[in-house]
Amino acid sequence: MRALRPFDALVTLALALALCFLTLPVVAIFAGTRPGELVASLGEPGVLDALSLSLKATLAALVVIVVVGAPAAYVLATRSFRGRSAVITLVELPLVLPPAVAGIALLAALGPQGLLGGWLEDAGVRLVFETAGVIVALVFVAAPFFLSQAQAAFSAVDHTWLEASRTLGASEARTFLSVMVPSALPGLLSGLALAWGRALGEFGATLIFAGSLSGVTQTTPLAIYELFATDLTAALALSAVLVAISGALLLSVKLVGGRVAPGLLAR
Amino acid sequence: MLAALALVAAGCGRQGPAGSAEEPLTVSAAASLAEAFGRYGEGFKGGSPRFSFAGSDELAAQIRQGARPDVYAAANTKLPGALHREGLVERPVTFTTNALVLAVPADSEIDALSDLERPGVDLVVGSPSVPVGSYTREVLSRLGAQRAGRILARVRSQEPDVKGVVAKLVAGAADAGFVYRSDVVAAGGRLRALVLPERLRPQAAYAAAVVRGGDRPELARRFVAGLRSGRGARILRAAGFGPPPQ
Amino acid sequence: MRARKLLSEGEGAGLELRAELRLDAFELAIELAVPAGSCLALAGPSGAGKSTVLRIVAGLVRPDRGSVRCGEVTWLETEAGIDVPPELRHCGYVFQDYALFPHLKAWQNVAYGLRGEVRGRAERRRRAEALLERFGLAHLADAHPRTLSGGERQRVALARALAPSPRALLLDEPLTALDSRTRATATRELASVLREADVPTLLVTHDFAEAATLGDTVAVMAEGRLVQHGGAADLAARPVSAFVADFTGAVVLSGVARPGPEGLTLVDLDGGGDIASVDHATGPVVASVFPWEIALEPPGETRGGSPRNRLAVEVASVTPLGSRVRVGLEGVQPLAAEVTAASVRALGIAPGRTVVATWKAAATRLTSS
Repeated sequence: MRALRPFDALVTLALALALCFLTLPVVAIFAGTRPGELVASLGEPGVLDALSLSLKATLAALVVIVVVGAPAAYVLATRSFRGRSAVITLVELPLVLPPAVAGIALLAALGPQGLLGGWLEDAGVRLVFETAGVIVALVFVAAPFFLSQAQAAFSAVDHTWLEASRTLGASEARTFLSVMVPSALPGLLSGLALAWGRALGEFGATLIFAGSLSGVTQTTPLAIYELFATDLTAALALSAVLVAISGALLLSVKLVGGRVAPGLLAR
Repeated sequence: MLAALALVAAGCGRQGPAGSAEEPLTVSAAASLAEAFGRYGEGFKGGSPRFSFAGSDELAAQIRQGARPDVYAAANTKLPGALHREGLVERPVTFTTNALVLAVPADSEIDALSDLERPGVDLVVGSPSVPVGSYTREVLSRLGAQRAGRILARVRSQEPDVKGVVAKLVAGAADAGFVYRSDVVAAGGRLRALVLPERLRPQAAYAAAVVRGGDRPELARRFVAGLRSGRGARILRAAGFGPPPQ
Repeated sequence: MRARKLLSEGEGAGLELRAELRLDAFELAIELAVPAGSCLALAGPSGAGKSTVLRIVAGLVRPDRGSVRCGEVTWLETEAGIDVPPELRHCGYVFQDYALFPHLKAWQNVAYGLRGEVRGRAERRRRAEALLERFGLAHLADAHPRTLSGGERQRVALARALAPSPRALLLDEPLTALDSRTRATATRELASVLREADVPTLLVTHDFAEAATLGDTVAVMAEGRLVQHGGAADLAARPVSAFVADFTGAVVLSGVARPGPEGLTLVDLDGGGDIASVDHATGPVVASVFPWEIALEPPGETRGGSPRNRLAVEVASVTPLGSRVRVGLEGVQPLAAEVTAASVRALGIAPGRTVVATWKAAATRLTSS
């Protein structure tokens, strides 16, 4: 018993340190201004544009990520093929790319002088300086978060459930929708939350690839950066709003996950 | 773990013994000074400084929030002047001027300001609070409200610093952008500068100041002094900057 | 579509399978036929490849070479490139851990296989609940699997597999996960369900007693090959190898139990004679004894001590197993005893010799059949 005490104290201290370190900056944002100032700053023109753009663009990015990412993660989780680990590494690469590098890479691939630039122009698709470009950048940086979580969630599903479904007459597609997805739902939702959070906070890649123009490509983080130089109160206000939205997001995903999939927490 | 944290803090913070000559200077400078300062720093007696390049307005805001680089160099005189009035920096020294130009890709067909008024032109400028952005708006306001309005309607991005504008031009994403002459020089042959008519040219004077509260004020003053005359001045000239105003 | 429906009525629809598959530790090579309406118990130690056989029949694993036929329908023929996917084979499969869908209620699990053929949620629910009723689980129709006991889950899994009227039934260790108390009832129930379902059934188990009780025939498998196939009693009495002898373990005798003197239960053996057991049971039972608990004596000797069962038998076979010897005995029912090589010599045991097989009433285990 006595031998445990110092260890207990140490690990508790570590937790306390981590908690303080991670929450202090967030608390400071809210402590830095008075509520009246915060609300007033929100009324300034660029601010609401930035918030609305952030929400629209991240939602659009999420739709793309889920629609393409879920089946992709399914393949990675359930099939073994030559080069599978290489594919997984490639798909997770944007995770370790600095956002600026991501932006430059996107320009090099999809910009007017990029690899696919001519092709895109012929097709009449403009990405740079357009909201579509923001969405593309968000998909690029956030998709790996969803993909790796989704893949882990799919892999963790007991494969005998899938086999049972097949023997009961369900095709692979029906098994995916009726058994795989519901079983993996907590992991999928958590991946979704992470991807959404990442997309909401993206700065470097969208700035370099799509630029920054209020209402079109200036997302909330970009607006905060600009406000910081001129109006600190407004920057704090917008930061507080972003933190609140991200926090609400995380919470709601956890709650929905808990309600929708209660039977999956215990087999 | 506590010991480890303390070590890290000591290493990052400015906790070294007073007057240690080994520690390099920290310099916050406008983005347009990146190439020139880099070369100046390499040969600087006293060690190659650690540079932080960004929009001058962002850097000023950081200093207001408590950041303490040894030197602050901005792309205008307004920001250092304001910091001096607030007691955060010593008296600023105006050390160079820069010309605002209209830059286009080397193979562009644009060769006059009036070309910017045509629809379909993608124009990139700096954001209003960053010096290059405010100089740009100064220039445009001298054209009169109508022409200014048409040109501003072509703006597709307001970058937080001038290098962002340059990057968009070099990547071929933008058709034109307002940058400094030094930036066109730094871009090699990829960009072409359209010199602005005399009456439109803004007074783009750069000022630098030693930040109060640092522990190597002498070295910092030497750094600044070298910008006005001496090695730093020569490097600035070669990079396309103008002489300091008399 | 119609042709398939006719055939699924199970007229003479036996299961035939032939498969070769290279696995990590050995090569699986097997050939089996399960007559219509009968149950073949595939028994063997873990890792012998038994579950793989089930998965091949179900279409979840494809052998290197082989064929699977159910009645007139060919599900797999590697030579001809035929490989019907699992969802079209109509095999009821009960997995070892039941694999119930945790996010669905019990009735939804049972109704899962009905979606293709039964239109209307209400109708599917009705059928599912009827089936659950048959298994005595109607009151749990709305429960989620995690709230059910092991025995209840096993029954739901069975109901789920049977709901779509499968053409064949595949059971993977259906009783192994149950505790010993539930297992007795479950065994009885499963036997009756199999009789009722009347489709060719392939049942996998590592427990020979289970195989003997549920299977009409037993096939012993080891390292991917069939070692012996026949009636349970035959396998125990005349094991073809030491492996089978070891594996079959208990001797199994059938009879009818009734209360006897001194608290013992007497079992009138089918074919004549009776034995005693300390277990309690009445009605048709299966009595099992391990061969090494059976001693052999020359005829005529009687020893005192604990109540002993004594049966006059004739030695049918003598199979050495290292230092032990498995002696196959013919009496009113086949038996097997395991004795030392020294005893064999001392008693002069050889085929044709008459001896007395004797064992304790306490060593006789009864299972209601």
